[in-house]
Amino acid sequence: MGATSAPSLYLDPQIRDWVLFPITVVMILVGILRHYVVLLLQTPPKKLPRAAIREQRALMQSNVLRATSANSPIPFTLYKSISQNLSKAFVDGKYLKDGPPKGDAPSTPPNPLTDPQAMDGMMAGMKTQMVMMVPQMVIMGWINFFFEGFVLIKLPFPLTLGFKSMLQRGIQTPDMDVRWVSSLSWYFLNFFGLNGLYRIILGGDNAADAAQNMAASPFAAAGAPQPGQPQDYNKLFKAECDNLEFSEGLHKWVGEDVETRILRKYGRIAP
Amino acid sequence: MSGAPDDAVQRIFGPNLLHNNNLLYNVKFISACFSGAVAGVLGLENTLGFALFALSTLFTTSILHFVNFRGRSKSYVQGGIVEVLNPGQENVFSFILVWTLFYGIVHVYD
Repeated sequence: MGATSAPSLYLDPQIRDWVLFPITVVMILVGILRHYVVLLLQTPPKKLPRAAIREQRALMQSNVLRATSANSPIPFTLYKSISQNLSKAFVDGKYLKDGPPKGDAPSTPPNPLTDPQAMDGMMAGMKTQMVMMVPQMVIMGWINFFFEGFVLIKLPFPLTLGFKSMLQRGIQTPDMDVRWVSSLSWYFLNFFGLNGLYRIILGGDNAADAAQNMAASPFAAAGAPQPGQPQDYNKLFKAECDNLEFSEGLHKWVGEDVETRILRKYGRIAP
Repeated sequence: MSGAPDDAVQRIFGPNLLHNNNLLYNVKFISACFSGAVAGVLGLENTLGFALFALSTLFTTSILHFVNFRGRSKSYVQGGIVEVLNPGQENVFSFILVWTLFYGIVHVYD
């Protein structure tokens, strides 16, 4: 059993049948299970009252208006009237969720811990994290318990000695080639390699995707506020007024001088 | 009418773009799996295996570019042909996974 690279080890085919395939199959199935569990655990988004929705959408409306101002499909009078309307509403605080700011009470942004909507968002993120982490831990424990102490497979590519302790855990042979690895390393290979499969089976944004969850988890766990929610809408509205005015200056209707352009195009007047 | 980059971005239709990207990702994943199977069955080791992966990526890219995109990758994928060439960060792992699997089945086990 101490052979290094030239004579290869002979492995029992039963290892292949009873370890290799089952680990892969279990991981695929658990991934699919995780996706559906997350789907079932999702609470439907709470219906916001009309005032709150209006507050959120007013900014979007003004952004959409401004986005095409340089090449605008609406003529200047219409554009100006919408823009002025929005500006006035922003300044008056008409669109704010709780009505215009009363007197000179200092307007503070809602605290993320007490604002119930932000809490729901964070809870949903944390629930997804738990559902992701728990099966991973369970499977790792299962593999370590049942499939320990033997060599599973030979990697087709070489690795440095540093990986030996991680990939050959439980096998006490100090000079066996690092390419012979234990079951845990097969778990890691599967963990990284099955994401593409999940994407094909479960469609685009599935909850089983490890890479997306790992990227999202530092931010969700730190409780970063979701964009737009705990922000102070009053201040945002005031800033938006300035933007609207700026875009008004930029406005250019696509139909301006359209008569002249058509005549020129068909050669009726000199270019 | 307007060639400014902002306007060009505004004209892109979201669902079509998403569909294209998903399709591209799926194609790359499946080609990574098949090339992994080929590398494993052939018993390729070390650099030869990765060379096969690079070769298969090039082959897939050229087929996509010349047949599917009719030579104009820029119209179908944001970022043009360089984006099509990129095998996707997770597909390397999928390649290694399938490569190891088939290598083990064919060459290691009796």
